[in-house]
Amino acid sequence: MVQLVPQLLRQQLAELAANDERIDGRSRWQSRDVELEVDILYNAEGSAKVVMGDTIVYVGVKFDTAAPYSDRPTSGSLMTGAELRPVAHRKYEPGPPSPESIELGRVVDRGIRESGCMDMESLCIVPGESVWRVMIDLHVLSDGGNIFDACATAAIAALRTATVPAKRFDVGEDFKLELKSTPVMCSFTRVGGRYVYDANEAEELGGDERVHITLGDEGHLHSLQKGLKGVLMPEEFAEILAQAGDKCAELRELIHSKEA
Amino acid sequence: MNSNDGGAELRLVVPGDQIDAPPGTQPGSGVYKRGDNLVATKLGELKIGGDLAHVVPTFTKYLPRSGDLVIGYVEAVMNNLWFLDVGGPFNALLPMSLAPWKVEFGAAREHMGYGDAVLARVMEVDETHSVVATMKGVGLRKIKEGTIFEMPPHLIGLVIGSNGRTLQRLKVASDCRIITTQNGRILIDGNGKGIAIARKALQMIEETGHAPGLHSRLNGILGDDE
Amino acid sequence: MMGGYGDIKLLNDDGTRLDGRAVDELRPVEIKAGVLPVADGSAWVKHGLNVAVAAVYGPMEAHPRKIQRQDRAVIDVRYNMAPFSTSDRIRPGFNRRSREISKVTAEALESVVLVERFPRSKIRVEIEILAAEAGTRCVGITAASVALADAGIPMRDMIVGVASGKIEDVVVLDLDKAEDNYGQADLPMGILPNTGEIAFLQMDGDLSVEEYNLACEYNYKAASEIHELMKQALLDSASRGDA
Repeated sequence: MVQLVPQLLRQQLAELAANDERIDGRSRWQSRDVELEVDILYNAEGSAKVVMGDTIVYVGVKFDTAAPYSDRPTSGSLMTGAELRPVAHRKYEPGPPSPESIELGRVVDRGIRESGCMDMESLCIVPGESVWRVMIDLHVLSDGGNIFDACATAAIAALRTATVPAKRFDVGEDFKLELKSTPVMCSFTRVGGRYVYDANEAEELGGDERVHITLGDEGHLHSLQKGLKGVLMPEEFAEILAQAGDKCAELRELIHSKEA
Repeated sequence: MNSNDGGAELRLVVPGDQIDAPPGTQPGSGVYKRGDNLVATKLGELKIGGDLAHVVPTFTKYLPRSGDLVIGYVEAVMNNLWFLDVGGPFNALLPMSLAPWKVEFGAAREHMGYGDAVLARVMEVDETHSVVATMKGVGLRKIKEGTIFEMPPHLIGLVIGSNGRTLQRLKVASDCRIITTQNGRILIDGNGKGIAIARKALQMIEETGHAPGLHSRLNGILGDDE
Repeated sequence: MMGGYGDIKLLNDDGTRLDGRAVDELRPVEIKAGVLPVADGSAWVKHGLNVAVAAVYGPMEAHPRKIQRQDRAVIDVRYNMAPFSTSDRIRPGFNRRSREISKVTAEALESVVLVERFPRSKIRVEIEILAAEAGTRCVGITAASVALADAGIPMRDMIVGVASGKIEDVVVLDLDKAEDNYGQADLPMGILPNTGEIAFLQMDGDLSVEEYNLACEYNYKAASEIHELMKQALLDSASRGDA
């Protein structure tokens, strides 16, 4: 996944940053408009679509039954898969899962898993014999920058509006998957030398490293990831963490507004 | 049916549409001859004039032609050759002999490297679409300042406007130097505020394209038309 | 797991199908062009409960070198079903069915795209099925054609994907999921609406020659309906001024 980085773009981004400006006219911590729709895919038990600028992602949640892990006989399981398929951008070439797509899946997964938002014990069907397996699949259709936040937002929205298909598996009546909280991810990218929120395609192309922060309802950190080459200072992290508090709260409100 | 600024009827066609044209009309760009019939091959506006029928496509990739002014990004450098991404199906080759510097063999990288932008001209294109570019010519140079806006190439005509009217408005309102190229990359050079105005206007042209009323929409960004 | 389905009745006493359709009626179809901002061309097709999205990138340099053709462009199709598109989740990875469909779809598109215009290059066509309800390969072909037109790739005609089949000894147009699962034959086709040529043809099951002819007739009639929707989607996108 190699992309040409015009030097002129990096220069331009640096000049804009020095003037406290961004290439699309947004302010430093301003996100693009976020559109969220839930329950939009016929065969998925939970689903969501998120549009952020030129980025469009779909997330589907499916369930099946499986034997539990022997050391946790009453606990359901969760897995998150991600594919950065060639549909999403010219730069994505066909082939086996790239490190980028693996990272995307694992980072989104950690935020959800570590927040404890899902009561895994409630997914037990027959102790020691069968439990529900929750399978989240992230499907990026258009990569216009910040696919991490788009996928994480869609994933948690899909989970929160999912229905466990017990009837189809002959183990009872369908029931809503009740989540205890709403972990939300915010991503910051170093563009023109300083961190900004919700980078678009040009900012990612000409920018440097990115930091993904997932916060729970009380503002606790549940996962962190720094991706790509680059370093940051503790003060820089403190600054983006402070911003994350507000940004995550805004996204959380949007996610809740789509629930029945 | 829509009408364009000129008041004539706009006829949009899709690939496969049969074209009603007077007998003897020849197929131009975007039109294909099947037996005695003319068929559109692209989505766009059908134009029949003289004895030629052609389609002005709503979208098209850049295809290099000899003489085109282009902005290329250096994608690779070999000993005596730069490979330029010009937005078309193939890279353009810029040989050392057509560069403005006196380059020692193997030292091409010192003058221009990966990711640099250059204003060049397409010198020749052969039947296999191999493209050679040159920097020998007035104004051709490595681009050191400014910002590049990527416009779909088929909209460059709109950016220029009839008799250059639109481009002139852009330059005056933004107080920037603006160079348009055949491969859709537009160089804007000036101060930050001016560049922002120019970008906004170009964004609007890209988003609304051929839809009628462009000049009145531009008034909102560039101020009223004199 | 599927108790009682041996007795499923696919046709009502009055000759209508389970979803109320007549034997020669299409499921509802919606088509939009220019839906993916990052691709060169794109389309979205909803056909019954099927949802397909197609993106086109190109023409571009054909890599790797070995797939390059000196005299024409190569059409590189990837047909893929999203893991959540079917009732049972599909594990991502190599899938033989998808690989076969990608191949025959590419071969169909090669008969309409004017590939000689772009020697040594390739045109990428990415078909993603987001929801599947029988007939996905046809929906994919339709979406790919609209996306190619949206991308300005020259074609002598578009291709309409449409299928008919047989249920309880009756030939019907446009099988839905139950009909596809429990029916007796399936005939998907890719038809050029302006010339009547067939660019894509597959069949499985049991059809007499007369039944084949009727199924074919239904396909042609439906193809012209779907073609109108494809045209409208492209014309709408063009008059919106979308690049």
